[in-house]
Amino acid sequence: MRSLPRLLWRTIRNDTLATTGLVILAGMIIIALFAPLIATHDPDRENTRVEGVAVHFDGQRWHPADVIGDTPLYGVALASPERGFAVGFEGTVAELAADVWSIVDMDVAVDLRGVDTADGTTIAVGDGGLALHHAGANGAGWQSVDTGADGDLNAVAVASPQHALAVGERGLVLRWDGHAWQRLDSGTVRDLHAVTLIDDSSGFVAGDRGTLLRYDGETFEELEALGFRDLYAIDALDEQTVLAVGERGTILANLDGDWREMRGPESRDLRDVRLLDATSAITVGTHGVVMRLADGEWVNEDTGYGETLRGLATADGHLVAVGTDPFVDRLASPSRDHFFGTTHLGRDIFSQTIHGARTALLVGLLAAFMVVMIGTNVGLIAGYFKGYTGSFLMRFVDVMYALPFEPFALVLVLIFRPSLTIIVLAIGLLTWRTTARIIRSQVLSISERPFVKAAKVAGASHWRILYVHIAPNVLPLAFLQLAVAMAFAITAEATLSFLGLGPPQLHSWGSVLHEARLSGAWRAAWWWIIPPGIFIMLTVVSTFFIARALEVLTNPRLARRS
Amino acid sequence: MRTFLISRVLQLLVTFWVIVTVLFFLFRLGLPDPTLALISEGLSPDDRQRVIAQFGLDLPLWQQYLVYLQNLATGELGMSFHYKAPVGDIVFERLANTLILMLPAILLAYGFGATVGTVLAWRRGSRLEGVGITAGLVLRSAPVFWTGMLAIFLFGITLAWLPTSGMRTLPYEETTWIGRVTTWDFLWHLVLPMLVIAAYYFALPMLIMRNTMLELIGEDFIEFCRARGFSERRTMYRHTARNALLPVVTQAAVTTGLAVGGQVVVEVVFSWPGLGREMFQAVRTSDYPVAQASFVMLASMVLVLNFLVDILYSKLDPRVTHAAAKG
Repeated sequence: MRSLPRLLWRTIRNDTLATTGLVILAGMIIIALFAPLIATHDPDRENTRVEGVAVHFDGQRWHPADVIGDTPLYGVALASPERGFAVGFEGTVAELAADVWSIVDMDVAVDLRGVDTADGTTIAVGDGGLALHHAGANGAGWQSVDTGADGDLNAVAVASPQHALAVGERGLVLRWDGHAWQRLDSGTVRDLHAVTLIDDSSGFVAGDRGTLLRYDGETFEELEALGFRDLYAIDALDEQTVLAVGERGTILANLDGDWREMRGPESRDLRDVRLLDATSAITVGTHGVVMRLADGEWVNEDTGYGETLRGLATADGHLVAVGTDPFVDRLASPSRDHFFGTTHLGRDIFSQTIHGARTALLVGLLAAFMVVMIGTNVGLIAGYFKGYTGSFLMRFVDVMYALPFEPFALVLVLIFRPSLTIIVLAIGLLTWRTTARIIRSQVLSISERPFVKAAKVAGASHWRILYVHIAPNVLPLAFLQLAVAMAFAITAEATLSFLGLGPPQLHSWGSVLHEARLSGAWRAAWWWIIPPGIFIMLTVVSTFFIARALEVLTNPRLARRS
Repeated sequence: MRTFLISRVLQLLVTFWVIVTVLFFLFRLGLPDPTLALISEGLSPDDRQRVIAQFGLDLPLWQQYLVYLQNLATGELGMSFHYKAPVGDIVFERLANTLILMLPAILLAYGFGATVGTVLAWRRGSRLEGVGITAGLVLRSAPVFWTGMLAIFLFGITLAWLPTSGMRTLPYEETTWIGRVTTWDFLWHLVLPMLVIAAYYFALPMLIMRNTMLELIGEDFIEFCRARGFSERRTMYRHTARNALLPVVTQAAVTTGLAVGGQVVVEVVFSWPGLGREMFQAVRTSDYPVAQASFVMLASMVLVLNFLVDILYSKLDPRVTHAAAKG
């Protein structure tokens, strides 16, 4: 009895396959124990991805999105088709030179919201009244210039190196005169989001709740509001050619001397707009909306990019749009961030699989112990008390054999609620039948052995003979059954969870596959179905390997063959 | 032999009775008044009264139980909540669909498995044997619904060779069941699920065949074959394999029972309109009469096949005495 653990250990060690199995199983147990540490993400979180992208239009067609760094870009300006600037989240600045975007290292931590360029002077503005100037050719690089304001700046327009206008929250307007920033009175307290300059003495400003201001070089005149929607962008070629766009597809146009509202096919937020000539324009917005105005109609344009675009710039017929907001990382293929990719809801499959190990092993062990406890005891009693008790128990086992497993579990779930307990019970209550039969036949032969007869003669009670003298002899067999039952229980749990009969909030290998099947998206996402299956297979095969070695231990006839 | 048969038939009936009884009380426990579930489906009060009378739902529990047994004995399985059609018709057609999928699959798995098992035993101790056993165990450890999904992904979607769901291409004009299953289209739909099931069941006969063969190889009569100068091939196939087939055949019958009764999940994956999938859907839609009847039907399949195994075994293996089989 004392040597049983050592015997089991030696049996497994002497068998290569069994040792492999033990190592895999131990690995799975470690994964299950430390699942929260090993998992790289919260398995329930809808993971988002953030990246700065630039989408180029070369006059003929849109190019695939260029990923520039991992922070969203809010604004863009082009000096020429080959030269441009983009700014964004937490001081991100990118420069376009010779068709290549590169991130500029900046010592700025606040968000940059707008950028514009004219005649070699580029100005970027951002939160906290920040203004960064770039004087191009003289190589001074980016320099912070004190604006004297501390409100957030949302947009900037540069007409010449001597004249620029920046607008921001609560009616904040600043003018650059080539030497210093100076505050102007805008006459409004609404947040201002966009500004455009036609020349040094005329321009337009747009802001919250349909605010539109005309600028004459010194003062602002508020135009009659056409709507109550927030305006996010404005562009003008001259006083009679102005376009403003804003939330929920709002488009305000002054193309023939009169302001009027236009509708495009999309009602998503529009973030930026550029006039190409007096009758054509482009606007961009959330979810990759790009619309082109031609012949007085707005039509959708497919760029092949589906996430939010916030900034737009044009030069010589070329266009560039930048984005994005954080977006849900749906059905991403495996990457460094998501080892096994993501689900249709952006959940990390690696983390779900790792957490699934807990359910599998918990159910596997609990159910296997239940199976072996019931099966061994029934087998012991039925084998030792051969009379009516034994007959009755074995008839009962026969009845159990007629119950098909999956339908039985279905009935249990139909009558009670789906839960882990039901799954363990379904497995435990049904599969002890095999263990009982096997243990019984072993007990039948053991109880004929001399030492059992000796114990009887010595006056030992039935229960003492059964549990002290016979039981230790069937323990190796019970261990074998434990391994077999565990393999079955893990597969059974996966099967029931796959059918959607498991508790919905619990992660399990079966439920990962269930969700994949339910969503239909697995037909495109191979990474969603392969990992959980591999984990099931590895765990089950490891117990098979161990069981094979134990089989030799319990059936010496097998040992002779090899 | 006759007493043995009679006792086994009695045993069969008793087991069946126990199962339907347990099922009755389980269902009553979970659903005290089945007509309440029907009302939400738009059952009129008149119809409800009719159902109550038919199943004796206004009687005391023990009388309800007797009505239930009587209905079952006369094949009156009630009306489906979902299909609004007699349960018996639905269940029998679904059972036929299940059988026509499972039987060829198991036949294939056991024929192929036994052959490979023979080869493994013949080449015992070789690399081939190790690879074969490991491959068999790995194949057996892959859950069948997962291999099904992989097969659909590979052959159905990526390569687009085979249809992946259902029994035939819609729409079809045949109205009889026989007419439907004797078309090329049906066979075409059968290939993928059949192969997946066969792959899952293939390892067990292979391992049993090999183990039994190895036990037999040491026996005198095999030595005698060798001594007579029979070729190794003849010794293996004609003499050893033949004698090792018995446990494989037994296991085949047991597996058939379990497969017909238990492979809900394969039918679900392949949308095969079999009895298992029907029961699964009945559970999802709380269609109690169909769920109950499907279960009874599935359990009877297992029972009958287990019964046949016992009879077969006593016929085939002279060492099994009827007295021992009873014990």
